[in-house]
Amino acid sequence: MTSNGHLIEIENVSKSFGSHLVLDGIDLAISTGEAVVIAGPSGSGKSTLLRCINGLETIDEGDIRFDGHSVPGAGKDVFRLRAEIGMVFQSFNLFAHKSVLQNITLGPIKVKGLSESDANGLARDLLERVGIPEKADDFPADLSGGQQQRVAIARALAMEPKLILFDEPTSALDPEMIREVLDVMRDLAHDGMTMIVVTHEMGFAREVCDRIAFVDEGRIVEEGEPKAFFEGAKSQRAKDFVDKILRH
Amino acid sequence: MSELWEVLVRHFPEFRSGFLVTLQLVAVSFAIAIGVGLFVGALRVAPVRWIRWLGGLYVEFFRNVPLLVLLSIAYLGLRRAGIPIGPWVAATASLGLYTAAYVAETVRSGVFAVGKGQIDAGLALGFTYGRVLSQIVIPQAVRSVIPPLGSLIIAMIKNSAIIGAVFALADDLLKEARLIGSATFQYNEVFFWAAIGYLLLTVSVTFAIRAIERRLVVRR
Ligand SMILES: Nc1ncnc2c1ncn2[C@@H]1O[C@H](COP(=O)(O)OP(=O)(O)O)[C@@H](O)[C@H]1O
Ligand SMILES: [Mg+2]
Repeated sequence: MTSNGHLIEIENVSKSFGSHLVLDGIDLAISTGEAVVIAGPSGSGKSTLLRCINGLETIDEGDIRFDGHSVPGAGKDVFRLRAEIGMVFQSFNLFAHKSVLQNITLGPIKVKGLSESDANGLARDLLERVGIPEKADDFPADLSGGQQQRVAIARALAMEPKLILFDEPTSALDPEMIREVLDVMRDLAHDGMTMIVVTHEMGFAREVCDRIAFVDEGRIVEEGEPKAFFEGAKSQRAKDFVDKILRH
Repeated sequence: MSELWEVLVRHFPEFRSGFLVTLQLVAVSFAIAIGVGLFVGALRVAPVRWIRWLGGLYVEFFRNVPLLVLLSIAYLGLRRAGIPIGPWVAATASLGLYTAAYVAETVRSGVFAVGKGQIDAGLALGFTYGRVLSQIVIPQAVRSVIPPLGSLIIAMIKNSAIIGAVFALADDLLKEARLIGSATFQYNEVFFWAAIGYLLLTVSVTFAIRAIERRLVVRR
């Protein structure tokens, strides 16, 4: 951690795909233990921002520091960095040829060198924690979306990350399954996990997160505590967004 | 009916030898097709554009030239050009390299079927590219490649009949059958047994592929 207590410092970050400017001077700092929601319309650059934090995309300008070190564009360091940052995807992305247990143990065994028995023990504990211990030997295709996403969260947790990035973790779920995933995330936040969550779930944002950053066209238009954001958004963009989301 | 058996019994040694030659032709061509096909398939999914282009060039050439023309080039053309290539090499190389183009395309689609999401998930865990390949992409690509590979082997077995039919490149099952036929004039009986010989090979492949598939199935 840096002297000012921030686990992540994003400074003036810009990124283009070809001639399309997707991130346009993003500034954001997040402390250990904070849960920050990133909201904004589709195509505003939210996923790209998350992917820049763990080096799945490289930035064109600015600096992203994680735990005091700049996120490397390439080389061995980027793999080491990713092992410390979990990521949960909208489409779960479980490994289709591995059982639930193997999905969770693969990272700890291959990347952290855990023994198979230690990793299995860890995985079973985590499955308990996300509420599906009985699914250890099933394959992803046999699970519901909500169960798959909980396995994906367990897979991320198994690496004992310092930060977890959630990219619309409930957007691909049927309404009745959203709750079970949000509950797991809520528990994580209460246990002090540092997390950045891209989501349209404004209930979660209001009740669980410490801060909301509203992104539009690659810029953070508004940033603050949930209460202030929902009740007194300053920008028209954010106001419209809140109105639209809350009406649905 | 008795004539049918009689032909088989009387000419069994020739049938047998033709069958074994076809088996060898197919086995060697298959090894070439898999070896070259995997290599070219790897080129087709390489992260460097000109390497992908090279693989594409191979595939388009060997897929779009008739097998008979490849055989002609290999056997007649190269010999005329002073390259002393034997009939066996010409036959297996043509059939193997031709089939390799299809194997390469199968490999490519198998790799793409794995999907970017799982690759991202592997990278996000801190896997290197090599580990993503060995742990996630290849095991799944192998599974999805097996069924189409079976069809390719069967097509190759059938295509191998061209080899005995032209240039007398090898004394394979079809060629032996034609020789027996012209000696006995019992064409119907002779080609019936030739068909049975090819069926024996293709049906065995079908069963082998099914057995492998059952063991490796990817659940989705
Ligand atoms: N790999 C890529 N190549 C080209 N354009 C991309 C790529 N990824 C995202 N984009 C574009 O960047 C913009 C922002 O995308 P994204 O970060 O996914 O937005 P969000 O997650 O907020 O919906 C979109 O216009 C999208 O089409
Ligand atoms: Mg997105």
